[in-house]
Amino acid sequence: MAVEGDPRASAKKSPGDDVEDLPIFNADNLQNNIKSIYYSRTFLSIIGGVIAGIWGFTGLTGFIFYFIVMAAASFSLAAKAKFSVHAYFDSWSRILLDGIFGGLMSFVLFWTFAYDIVHIF
Amino acid sequence: MAEDLVLDTAIRDWVLVPLSVVMVLIGVLRYFVSKLMRSHQVPDLKVVKEGQVILRARNLRVAAGFIPAKSFRSRKTYFTNEENGLLHVPKGQAQNAQAQMFSDPNLAMDMMKKNLSMIIPQTLTFAWVNFFFSGFVAAKIPFPLTQRFRGMLQNGIDLSTVDVSYVSSRSWYFLNLFGLRGLFSLILGEENAMDDTQRMMQMSGFGFDPSKSLGAEKDGIDIIQHDWALPKLEKRAEDALKKLLK
Repeated sequence: MAVEGDPRASAKKSPGDDVEDLPIFNADNLQNNIKSIYYSRTFLSIIGGVIAGIWGFTGLTGFIFYFIVMAAASFSLAAKAKFSVHAYFDSWSRILLDGIFGGLMSFVLFWTFAYDIVHIF
Repeated sequence: MAEDLVLDTAIRDWVLVPLSVVMVLIGVLRYFVSKLMRSHQVPDLKVVKEGQVILRARNLRVAAGFIPAKSFRSRKTYFTNEENGLLHVPKGQAQNAQAQMFSDPNLAMDMMKKNLSMIIPQTLTFAWVNFFFSGFVAAKIPFPLTQRFRGMLQNGIDLSTVDVSYVSSRSWYFLNLFGLRGLFSLILGEENAMDDTQRMMQMSGFGFDPSKSLGAEKDGIDIIQHDWALPKLEKRAEDALKKLLK
């Protein structure tokens, strides 16, 4: 899923050496990676919404469920990138926080939909 | 009051599901229509040239560490030279580019078409929802909201004792509007769904792009400090090898 960006990014500094290497990123690959994160998050929000609705979560429980699902997604994405985030993305925030609030609306929509269909039928 | 209202099954069948299905279909339709209606404008040669010059200048700036100092300086002069440097835009010309962009009929038509294709289906669907589906409780949202949202969410329902969770179909329409964006980006590929704000930014960005970013690139190249990586490469290779052998 995650395509490795050009691995000339080096953040290693050995003592006594003060070379600052500009991390060079292949823009296409970076874009591709970011897109795949976005797609996985959207998909997971939708599925999570349907699950939350079927299980009958209401109120705060539902939102907590959403954030749990998002955290699990972040963790799995980080694991897929073998925890060396800088080889694939330009910052931690991409893999951890990006797209969480975008997915929230889809989650709420599908949560409401499933909840209504199942419980208030 | 938190009593559970019993809602008719027919509401599910004939309101919620059709509304969602209609919105999805309208989104798909709009995507294909906008694809068909997209007029192919022949890119202006001057704009393309300027864009490529900017790319070259940017590459120079980013990769400055990989070429020796003398070649860097000669390239830098080529770009930033006051008389015939590529990035130096005389003042009069800078204003011109903007004005030309906005009076260009093609571009204006494109923007208008895109705006219309966004607005018209939304307006029509909203009017349809209001006409057919007003005056009854449509759905129950699974989380409680405060009383302030009552006016917004329960538009057709005139009882004030009904729980705020029971919403009318107008709010179901809005919920769909926002929530289906994610679905569209999944099934239509690549964000083609509701990025009208993004597109407007792109379109207006085109007008400013040539003049201002040329100046920005010129400043960027002027500022940069040339730091040749070659002398340090041997040390870096040595360190990397040492780490491998450890």
